[in-house]
Amino acid sequence: MTALLAAEDLSRRFAARGLFRRGRPVQAVAGVSLAIARGEAVGLVGESGSGKSTIGRLVLGLLAPDAGRVLLEGTDLASLREAARRRVRRRLQLVFQDPYSSLDPRRRVGRQIADGLAIHRLAPPAQRRERVAALLAQVGLAPEHAERFPHQFSGGQRQRIGIARALATGPEFLVADEPVSALDVSVQAQVLALLADLRTRLGLALLFISHDLPVVRSLCDRVVVLYLGRIMEEGPASEVLRHPRHPYTRALLAAAPGDPLRPRARILLRGDPPSPADPPSGCVFRTRCPYVLAECAQVVPALRSGGPGHRFACIRDDVETTLPAPTA
Amino acid sequence: MRRLNWLPVAAVAAIAIVALATPLLPLPDPLAMDIAGRLAPPSRAHWLGQDQYGRDVLSRLLWGSRVSLGVAVLACGAAVALGTALGLAGGFLGRLAELLALRSMDIVLCFPPLLLALLVVTLLGPGAATLVPLLALLYLPGFVRVVYAGVLSVRSQDYAEAMRALGATRLRIMTRTILPNIGGPILVQFSLTMASAIVLESGLSFLGLGVVPPAPSWGLMIGAARSTMAQAPLLLLWPCLALSLTILAMNALCDALRDAVDPQRAPRPAGLRGTLAPHAPSLAPDGDALLALRGLTVEIDTPAGAIRPVRDVSLRLSPGETLALVGESGSGKSLTGLAAMGLLPPAARVVAGDIRVDGRDLRRLDETALRRLRGTAMAMVFQDPLSSLNPVHRIGAQIGEAVRAHHRLPARAVRERAVGLLRRVGIPDPERRARSFAHELSGGMRQRAMIAMAIANDPRLLIADEPTTALDTTVQAQILELISGLKRQGGMAILFITHSLPVVAEIADTLAVMYAGEIVEQGAAAALFARPLHPYTAALLASVPGEDGALPRSIPGTVPAPHDLPPGCRFAPRCAHRRDACEAAHPPLAPVGDDRLTRCIRWRDFAGTRPSAETAA
Ligand SMILES: Nc1ncnc2c1ncn2[C@@H]1O[C@H](COP(=O)(O)OP(=O)(O)OP(=O)(O)O)[C@@H](O)[C@H]1O
Ligand code: SF4
Ligand code: SF4
Ligand SMILES: [Mg+2]
Repeated sequence: MTALLAAEDLSRRFAARGLFRRGRPVQAVAGVSLAIARGEAVGLVGESGSGKSTIGRLVLGLLAPDAGRVLLEGTDLASLREAARRRVRRRLQLVFQDPYSSLDPRRRVGRQIADGLAIHRLAPPAQRRERVAALLAQVGLAPEHAERFPHQFSGGQRQRIGIARALATGPEFLVADEPVSALDVSVQAQVLALLADLRTRLGLALLFISHDLPVVRSLCDRVVVLYLGRIMEEGPASEVLRHPRHPYTRALLAAAPGDPLRPRARILLRGDPPSPADPPSGCVFRTRCPYVLAECAQVVPALRSGGPGHRFACIRDDVETTLPAPTA
Repeated sequence: MRRLNWLPVAAVAAIAIVALATPLLPLPDPLAMDIAGRLAPPSRAHWLGQDQYGRDVLSRLLWGSRVSLGVAVLACGAAVALGTALGLAGGFLGRLAELLALRSMDIVLCFPPLLLALLVVTLLGPGAATLVPLLALLYLPGFVRVVYAGVLSVRSQDYAEAMRALGATRLRIMTRTILPNIGGPILVQFSLTMASAIVLESGLSFLGLGVVPPAPSWGLMIGAARSTMAQAPLLLLWPCLALSLTILAMNALCDALRDAVDPQRAPRPAGLRGTLAPHAPSLAPDGDALLALRGLTVEIDTPAGAIRPVRDVSLRLSPGETLALVGESGSGKSLTGLAAMGLLPPAARVVAGDIRVDGRDLRRLDETALRRLRGTAMAMVFQDPLSSLNPVHRIGAQIGEAVRAHHRLPARAVRERAVGLLRRVGIPDPERRARSFAHELSGGMRQRAMIAMAIANDPRLLIADEPTTALDTTVQAQILELISGLKRQGGMAILFITHSLPVVAEIADTLAVMYAGEIVEQGAAAALFARPLHPYTAALLASVPGEDGALPRSIPGTVPAPHDLPPGCRFAPRCAHRRDACEAAHPPLAPVGDDRLTRCIRWRDFAGTRPSAETAA
């Protein structure tokens, strides 16, 4: 299976902003590799600041990596010239988290959906109205909605409009950056169903960014768990979520509020994630890990195999059978 | 575009037309002197009188408007055009352009404006031809900065990023996305600058640095009238009046334009306070309930008429109990919580019902008494801790402030109490954290600090409005743990407002589900989860992603808008169990067995069919 899109060893840091530009640069992404096949849905899971959005923008070529490369069917995005890169954008699209800031408040939504058609000359102006109506229908909205302004829609409807705008160019790969986390549960389900439907109908490959494991499990074939810009664990969704090998994945699963009928024992992590400007030595998770050992401060655990297609970065093998250390 | 307010447009147009048409009007020559008519009062031939040389004041006023307005329009037009170009280049074309555009403006700003004016006029000599470039230069930095700041803020918005993701060229993003969105601020700046330019032109002319006499100009007229103020005070009045009216009209026009180009700006709701209805019937105290709402109905005036986003809500909360109020956004749950705190926004008012906290009738209390209750009897925690904490005060001082609102204590004791509270909510190293500012804390720590503030005076009732929604999963679990800990230790009653059923499962004893402003189901949490008796509750449960990884089931349609409620059952348009009878009458919230209420007439046929119950069993 050749990958539609492959990221190799991506790293990206941001200069620390501040009044006097002091402070260390933030290592938002460190040595992340990903491969996404045609039509595959990969979930990227992690807490806020773990670098999920940065990876999304790196693989779309909206942000340049400091190291590593992004290959679209074997072609390095960085090797393309400006005009060629703009043409490639047609095949790679983005759906945003915030349904309020992702649409231009001053333009009718029909025109915003038509932008992609106009930019890539996919439809002559005379046919655009029709194409916009078809796109709106595809996301469950009516043609007359094209004439409205964004503020006249609910959050869920705006998210659909954002998806319609992304679909306008007929992309093969969609990055959805927390597309449902700003929505009500009942509306979340609508948007998830829409994404799942589009995936099967259009054969879209999907990088689904989320901090919500149950949501990822319902939509994705594979999961990648991120902590402080590094991959902690990855593999088939069912496998990783049923037999998590990494203590962080276990903690995330335990913390995720799941089925209300089945409250579960939880592993409470201490404290907050450390600042990406000052990551711990050795294993980056060790300051919060309930399974931490003395060696964890010395070695950076490499990703190793935990089954077919399943890899994790922890030096311990016994987390599934051991109870976590009691937390404070 | 929204409807434009035509009054200011008409006013400015009238001023402009008069100025433009002045040469065509049958006016006396503004320069013709008439020594005999020196300082003559208004007459039939000279409607506004004559000045110290006997020249016609009306004629000079109108000819002067041409000069004043002409200079201002030309100068501001040049400044806005050049400034927008420079600001766009600086914000959009990369580092070098940014450096050049901003630094050159800093140089202009280094000169005090009046000094610069004096310098230029001394070098080039007075006159309108000098004034225009001079004023344009003076106002240029203002425009560059407004445009530059606008570009930066719009460029960081997701919709600008979306254009980039679509592969749009810079030119397209600049013209289609950025310019329209910074039009408002530019218009505002333009109105300020026009007004300021008219004033500055008059000021410079008054000082003899602007328009050269005998040419008419408002500034010159004011200057001349000053010396004859005692004999002819009216001469001072006319040009001042012309100046003020023009500036007023300009400002009003620009406000109207800004409103008109912003499709989002809704007319403000008429503010109507009055949560207090002293004649409301008073009911007997509600047993030992800490919070008792009865038939609470809240009304808000909107441009589309009055709406009632909360209708007939009754809740009862005993000490040590946690009641979760669950509903989608817009269901009225936050307004209910705010009403219970006596904190409704100004446009909202309680039109019916009874709110009792600890036996006291909130609707009969005045603001002072309410303030005393807040903090001691009841306290509130909000969703977004960053916007609820004051950014310029240290965390410890803010918590101390909450302590001091109700206790007179020496400063040291207050400080110790604040540190103790931070420790109680589980903040590590509380002494050091007390000296931090809000932005130095993580989201979880901020929420802990907010909770510390809320419990500073040991309230018996805590109202928490989506306190974990903005937090990460692992941190959310910590905060839920903290809140249930508070409940276990202190017997605090908690009203927990949320849209997330799984979160509720962790901490709620009882549950009230709200839909479109009213409670549709109420009962013990466990019973409600096991066997929902309202289709909406069942649908909400099914919309949570299940353990088995099945796609969650969505509820078709959307929540009805409050001014467009369906007749009969409010949930009928989205309900899978609807019958004609459902739409015939509005179902009451009816008791079903012990402590269970549902607002569904078909609960018997429907009971027990929780969609995902089979898989979870
Ligand atoms: N433009 C930027 N300048 C400076 N720092 C940045 C920038 N963008 C991201 N960062 C930092 O990089 C780190 C990773 O950010 P990123 O937005 O990728 O996280 P995320 O996992 O998407 O988080 P969230 O769930 O909050 O969206 C964070 O510490 C963030 O503050
Ligand atoms: S390497 Fe050590 S600290 Fe890191 S996850 Fe494994 S046990 Fe925990
Ligand atoms: S009353 Fe009828 S429409 Fe309303 S919730 Fe019950 S079954 Fe559905
Ligand atoms: Mg993000």
